[in-house]
Amino acid sequence: MASTACFIIVSRNDIPIYEAEVGSAVKKEDAAQQHQFILHAALDVVQDLAWTTSAMFLKAIDRFNDLVVSVYVTAGHILLLICFFQPKGAFNLRCYVLESSLISIPLSLSSCSRVSNCTAPNLGSTDRN
Amino acid sequence: MATMLGQSDPANSPLGLMLLDEITPVVMVLRTPLVEEACLKNGLNLVELLTPFSTFNNIDVPVRTASDQPYRLQKFKLRLFYASDIRQPNLEVAKEQLKEVITHAGEKDFSDLCSDPPQIEDVLSTPESEILPSWFQFFNKELVRSLSFSDHEAFDHPVACLLVVSTKDERPLNRFVDLFNTNQLPFLLNDGVMDPKILKHYLLVHDNQDGSSEKAEKILTEMRSTFGSNDCQLLCINSSQDGLVEHEDNPWAPYKTDASLSQPLGCFLNIDDFNEIKDLMQDFSSKHIIPHMEQKIRVLNQQVSVTRKGFRNQIKNLWWRKGKEDTPDASNGPMYTFSSIESQIRVLGDYAFMLRDYELALSNYRLLSTDYKLDKAWKRCAGVQEMMGLTYFLLDQSRKEAEYCMENAFNTYLKIGSSGQQNATRCGLWWIEMLKTRDQYKEAASVYFRISGEEPLHSAVMLEQASYCYLFSKPPMLHKYGFHLVLSGDHYKKCDQIKHAIRTYRRALSVYKGTMWSYIKDHVHFHIGKWYAFLGMFDVAVPHMLEVLTCGHQSKTTQDLFLREFLQIVQNTGKKFEVLKLQLPAINIPSVKVIFEDNRTYASPAAASVRESMWQSLEEDMIPSLPTIRTNWLESLPKNISKKHKQSNICVTGEAIKVDVEFKNPLQITISISSVSLICELSASSEEMDCDANSSTSELQNDEESGKLTISREQTSNSSFTLSEADFSLGGGERIMVQLTVTPRIEGILKVVGVRWNLSDSVVGFHNFESNLVKKKIAKGRRKAKHSPSDNLKFLVIKSLPKLEGSIHHLPEKVYAGDLRRLVLELRNQSEYPVKNMKMKISSPRFLNVGSWEILNTEFPACLEKKTDPEQRVQANHNKESHTVFLFPEDTLIQGGTPFLWPLWLRAAVPGNIPLYITIYYEMGDISNIMRHRTLRMYHNLQVLSSLDLSFQISPCPSRLKEFLVRMDAVNKTSSEIFQIHQLSSVGHQWKISLLQPVETMLPSELMPGQALSRFFKLENVRKLTTPEDKVSLLAPQEGSDVKLGSEASNEILFDICSSPLADFHICERIHQEGSHQEHPNSVDFILISQPSNDSINTGLPNPPPHLFSHHVCHCRIESTSPIWWLMEGPRTIHHNFSASFCEVKLKMTLYNSSDLSASIFIHTLDSIPSTSQLSEVMAGSPGNQAGWYDTSLLNDIKVTSDVLGMKVGKPPSLDSVSQFIWSGSCSTKVEVEPMSTAVVPLQICVFSPGTYDLSNYALHWNLLSSKDEGSHGKCPGSPYYLTVLQSA
Repeated sequence: MASTACFIIVSRNDIPIYEAEVGSAVKKEDAAQQHQFILHAALDVVQDLAWTTSAMFLKAIDRFNDLVVSVYVTAGHILLLICFFQPKGAFNLRCYVLESSLISIPLSLSSCSRVSNCTAPNLGSTDRN
Repeated sequence: MATMLGQSDPANSPLGLMLLDEITPVVMVLRTPLVEEACLKNGLNLVELLTPFSTFNNIDVPVRTASDQPYRLQKFKLRLFYASDIRQPNLEVAKEQLKEVITHAGEKDFSDLCSDPPQIEDVLSTPESEILPSWFQFFNKELVRSLSFSDHEAFDHPVACLLVVSTKDERPLNRFVDLFNTNQLPFLLNDGVMDPKILKHYLLVHDNQDGSSEKAEKILTEMRSTFGSNDCQLLCINSSQDGLVEHEDNPWAPYKTDASLSQPLGCFLNIDDFNEIKDLMQDFSSKHIIPHMEQKIRVLNQQVSVTRKGFRNQIKNLWWRKGKEDTPDASNGPMYTFSSIESQIRVLGDYAFMLRDYELALSNYRLLSTDYKLDKAWKRCAGVQEMMGLTYFLLDQSRKEAEYCMENAFNTYLKIGSSGQQNATRCGLWWIEMLKTRDQYKEAASVYFRISGEEPLHSAVMLEQASYCYLFSKPPMLHKYGFHLVLSGDHYKKCDQIKHAIRTYRRALSVYKGTMWSYIKDHVHFHIGKWYAFLGMFDVAVPHMLEVLTCGHQSKTTQDLFLREFLQIVQNTGKKFEVLKLQLPAINIPSVKVIFEDNRTYASPAAASVRESMWQSLEEDMIPSLPTIRTNWLESLPKNISKKHKQSNICVTGEAIKVDVEFKNPLQITISISSVSLICELSASSEEMDCDANSSTSELQNDEESGKLTISREQTSNSSFTLSEADFSLGGGERIMVQLTVTPRIEGILKVVGVRWNLSDSVVGFHNFESNLVKKKIAKGRRKAKHSPSDNLKFLVIKSLPKLEGSIHHLPEKVYAGDLRRLVLELRNQSEYPVKNMKMKISSPRFLNVGSWEILNTEFPACLEKKTDPEQRVQANHNKESHTVFLFPEDTLIQGGTPFLWPLWLRAAVPGNIPLYITIYYEMGDISNIMRHRTLRMYHNLQVLSSLDLSFQISPCPSRLKEFLVRMDAVNKTSSEIFQIHQLSSVGHQWKISLLQPVETMLPSELMPGQALSRFFKLENVRKLTTPEDKVSLLAPQEGSDVKLGSEASNEILFDICSSPLADFHICERIHQEGSHQEHPNSVDFILISQPSNDSINTGLPNPPPHLFSHHVCHCRIESTSPIWWLMEGPRTIHHNFSASFCEVKLKMTLYNSSDLSASIFIHTLDSIPSTSQLSEVMAGSPGNQAGWYDTSLLNDIKVTSDVLGMKVGKPPSLDSVSQFIWSGSCSTKVEVEPMSTAVVPLQICVFSPGTYDLSNYALHWNLLSSKDEGSHGKCPGSPYYLTVLQSA
């Protein structure tokens, strides 16, 4: 079965700075927007999770039907979001993400991406359960 | 606060209230038609009439269930149903009903959808109740109700039966019996699911309008004796005769939803009836229902205790059930009758639940759940678990347990397939409420998502509810909120609930507003637009479609789709839209250039794009200094023109202002743009202008603020100015630079506001320049930066002025270096008023020069011929001024469109790209205007290709004193041009050039491409001593000498190099070629004139006008550093008889001082030092001796050797040999030589033996005597002079 994946690098303030559709599946016209929707929605989960764990690679944090979202959170809080079909992706996801994290480092250092107003969430709100 | 309360008392939470409402005892109502008839007089049926009075908020009844401890029940409710309604609702009907509800809600909510979607901040700050559509609750309730009266749950089973008979009925007592005995009873009773022995209550209804209640009393007594005194009651209604009773806070209103009321509800019920009904229901519930339930609980509990409680029973039960395992397994498990212990436990649990003895209920549910599990009666099991969850929740004991039970029940329902789907939904809804009560909105949302199911309408509503859960979660999960709204919208769309789809998408828009996620934004806007269009609301659809127009990131097909859809919608609106800042095509604002002509006019667009500083430096000394001229014409301005207009740019009526705008197509598809024009405002007078401009600008600002569309307005000011229009189509990603013009027709203030265009003939886009910085190309140097950009687009239009138009005829674009041709400058003035005082300045006189008027009518190149009569010569313009400003004759007036011609000379001096700037200054004949002068600026670019490479070498003639040999090397560097060398001229009266050989013997003079050529000439110095006055004009070549070089040149003419234009160009060349060389009197300039050969290969220049080539080489220097020239004269061969005596030879040295100063020359002979002077054949290889021997290379015929050579010191070939001659006479002679004059010094040598001697062992020391300083001095070694002395016979 053909696999498909969408990879987006998101900077602070939820601005997508890089976008790629990878995979061998025949591209559907609305695939791009569907992936964007799913990844955009997953940002909420990332924002919750990223501050509760020290791990950078957060696997399968969100899913929509068959599409699973994983994220690699870089030190500069630039998110590398990937959503792909079926949990067992056709390629080594971690490697791919780590490779691309190297790409994102210059991006995070770039003066073009605003790295100001770093806000940690209210830590008091995490103990509600 | 509410949640705190809810947490402290689950019964007061929304779920608690919901359960209180839904899980209450059911009363089955059986009535005769006459009862119904009596009730309907009030617009209500019997159940409706009684319902408001069956809810008790403060019933305060003591209850004692299983335990001995009584407690008081405050809230209580009965649910009344007709027997015919006690059945499982038809699913299809229920669905239809729900759909109707949703559609209805859609219509209701749609009214406010045309406004802007709310900001996300506003959404977050509004309370939940306002955001949530009110029909959600209704929808959920209906969903729950669609599951009523299921057989596996007991709380919907009727607790009691209310039999109602009217007094008008015949034989009422029989009717009571008949009612219950018909086959109309619900299946629950008939199928054995519940106990048919049900509590019965007999009610006799008497309509007071039918007469007194005496008869009723009589029947009641009969009833009491028949059915028992407690269970019978009489109800008298319709006591009001006129039917005009108005009830404050009509108790029926909340229960009767359909508003089509012909009469007020309960209009025949007066206050007595009202209280009677109230008392009846209170009595019924507190004295009959509740005690009955208590009774039943106690009985059942007793039974359960006996059969199931205790260790023994448990073991027995377990064993017994295991034994039953082999029984065939139905999907719902085995059938349980009302008499089975399981059903009884369930009834016990549900009754306990309804009477709020949750502990008792829970213990029974628990017991039951394991039983059902063992029986694999999954549906029942799930039902029990669901109830356990609710009980846990209401007990507020273990939250985990409650959730676990709900989840378990939910999953179990799902497990049993489609039949459990409905139950799962209900379970989910309760579970969600439970989670919501505990603020677990996120979890609630995921449950909503799980119950969304397959059916689109259902899932749409559930997804929408899920989205609100995300919104209400803390912190709000807006991304999820938006996503689920969009999902929900898609589902709404699937079931044609377009209005709901729009509503959800619009809400989602508030999340996605301003986001950079382009695909999302496009999707949302496009669909909203499309749906609005579907509903025919094209006006509202358009703004959304506009948002997706610039979708460069989308695929080509999508772009095409978006654009097509957009245009279709706009067409459907049936009007043209004006869209501010339409992004299709995009306008590159920084590229906007404004070109206008005030004092400065331009002959071509190219001229306008030249840097202003370039022109300024060119015009610097031509036009009156700017501040002066400015104040001058400002003073003459009318006083009423306010000060701020002084800052405005000035333009002239009838003259176009050009604005260059760059359009770019951001899409990959072709778009067609038409009627591109500027938007301008022109107000005639200054006062008017103020108010006009204010109003119009404010209007524009309004447009900008609201960003709304306005219907195309008429161009009202068409009469006062004209606009150009452009049409073009832009391919994918293309850019195009469009020049738009506005031509004012009347005086006033003109403002360029922006640009407008038609996209595909249906949308008018316009873009204001105001808000952006417009780079003004023609920013004046003196202009300060303080002006706002809008000032740059504001023009003061002054009345029509004469304007010169200029062009140069026959100006080639590409020429070879040296090309000399005549051009004609044509000037025209279309105006009636003349222009005068014209001046012209040309940036590069080396390339372009002004001719004289006369040559206009002569033949070229014949006009350059050397005239025999010197008077006729056109004198070269030696005036220094001529290189800067050329003044046209003072009487020149140009007007009325008649062309004025003036000749120009073009000479391509050096190869390269040569910009030619010409500026013409003129003044107005009519001085009434505020602008008195203008300039016409012309710019041309000339590409000059290299042609002939020319070099000269001049060396002194060894045999003559004032003659030189000139070697000319010429290489044709062109690829195609053939040059016919015509003439070589030397410039200046002190030189005369002539041929070494006669012309006939020379080689052909044609120079083919790539060919090289060398010629030798003789150059003679004819310089005379000049007077100091002449020295001043040293630059000017008055005279020259020419040599014809053409092979067949005998009959050809010579060109005059001393007259204009050759002389003028030569002066320029001299200046340019001067370089670092000092002006040296002994340098010579050459001009080589050649003609293009007739059979030149055509270079692509069609039929070129007659032209010549003149190559100027200046400052060619004689290879000598000394100003003193000398020549040794004397015999070369002498026969002498040495036997008689030694030989005495007389020699003569002629000295010439070529400098302008007198020189003192000192001749020093060197024979005092013994040195060999005898020359042998060995000499050729010898380096020479110390005393000044030199190589006598035959090739070297230089008389005065270079210093480098002079320094070379050799050793004598034979030191032992004795000098064979000596200088006799004085060994040193000193002479004074006047400038430009010669002196002769006699010399003598004595030769002692025959041989050949080189008499070069002498030196000349010269010293120029300058009056100012020491002057220069130097030493020249002697030059070879060979003397052969032979022994005479």
